[in-house]
Amino acid sequence: MRRPCNAECSVNADALRYARGVRLHTEGDDVAWLLVPEGVLDLNASARAVLELVDGTRTVDDIAALLAQRYDAPIDELRTDVVSLCGSLRERGFLQ
Amino acid sequence: MTLSVAPRPLSLLCELTYRCNLQCPYCYNPRNLSAYRDELLDEQWQDVIHQAADLGVLQVHLSGGEPTLRPKTVLAAIESATQRGIYTNLITQGTFLDDELLDRYIAAGLDHVQISIQAPQTELADQIAGAHVHERKLQAIERVRSRNVALTLNCVLHRANHDLMPQVIELAERFGIRKLELANTQFYGWAFTNRSWLMPTLEQVRAGERIVAQAQERLRGRMEITYVLPDYYEDWPKPCMHGWGNAFMTVTPNGTVLPCPAAAAITTLRFENVREHPLSWIWTSSDSFTAYRGTDWMPEPCRSCERREIDFGGCRCQAFEVLGDAGLTDPACIKSSHHALMAQASHEKPPARFVPRRMTADRT
Repeated sequence: MRRPCNAECSVNADALRYARGVRLHTEGDDVAWLLVPEGVLDLNASARAVLELVDGTRTVDDIAALLAQRYDAPIDELRTDVVSLCGSLRERGFLQ
Repeated sequence: MTLSVAPRPLSLLCELTYRCNLQCPYCYNPRNLSAYRDELLDEQWQDVIHQAADLGVLQVHLSGGEPTLRPKTVLAAIESATQRGIYTNLITQGTFLDDELLDRYIAAGLDHVQISIQAPQTELADQIAGAHVHERKLQAIERVRSRNVALTLNCVLHRANHDLMPQVIELAERFGIRKLELANTQFYGWAFTNRSWLMPTLEQVRAGERIVAQAQERLRGRMEITYVLPDYYEDWPKPCMHGWGNAFMTVTPNGTVLPCPAAAAITTLRFENVREHPLSWIWTSSDSFTAYRGTDWMPEPCRSCERREIDFGGCRCQAFEVLGDAGLTDPACIKSSHHALMAQASHEKPPARFVPRRMTADRT
């Protein structure tokens, strides 16, 4: 049970990067996991698409723009999804 | 869910040695520690890790006993795991983690360290540990924190330190800890022996919930705090190991392979050894791993329960420790006909002293 991201934990402005001890593991096109301290999170395709773009320089807006271009989708919807995913991962200390 | 194909193991716990310089009464290690003295060699551990990687394991946890009592083995294990792209986690009490050792582990690819403390104050911490080690632990925490490796601080809770949760949180704040685990004792092995000494009161547990909720709110985004309740006070059992033989395996110091770190207590199963069989066969086909895999083994009330794939019937080891039959519903479940035993156990009068965890105790 987690609250949705609020203004205090805004992920809008800063470049996103993985916290220490967190990394992405992918196998082929279908399998992706986020390896975190003492756990393994199974990632679906959309979470993987976002997390593959986290590189320490891109912001939420950068990532949403790239995905909008790639999937020819409306940027506002994508932005909402990216904010929601990254907000919850940041709250759990997996992204900074 | 009938599993004709074994699922993929994600996580391997390597218990490198059961030796430890501490004597914590809440240790889940088996009571017959000296039966595990014939420890695997470094190259055997490396082979275990390579076999685990072939099976799909993504994370290796290095623990014990105290794993850094075998410092070179830890290093060899980190090297093998890193070579295979596996995430490595060192679970230690920190008393031997000096600068040089830590730097070597990090250079070899160590991803995460978990350090445990016994209490927030030296006197009580050392009393529980049975050794003067608290100050050294604090130095180890600072050492890890100041380096480029992730750190989780852990404090195992029980009746004697449960009221000090606010001070543990303060200590974690002082060290800038990002991840704090306040986990109540799980009652296996030595902890089961010391159950009535360790058991927190219901009032302590309820107060703990309030303390953690407040701290979580206050420290949101700065520190993640996990609070694990003792399941003696819960209505539903924990989803132990996310199912027997489903995602986790443990290799003990002498090479015995267990579906759960506490499973050696189950004397009705025969557990195989990596010296005699390939890990893949043990995981996929051995009797011990298939015994409680999936849902086909379940008795009622589990069999027809809507939660059967949420908590998998709870913990097999707890069913064995408390009821003497690993194939029964975990008594922590409110639907178990033995559930009253849990409340009864939580009201036992605590003895004045605990039994310290010792390797020689079982030989006397």
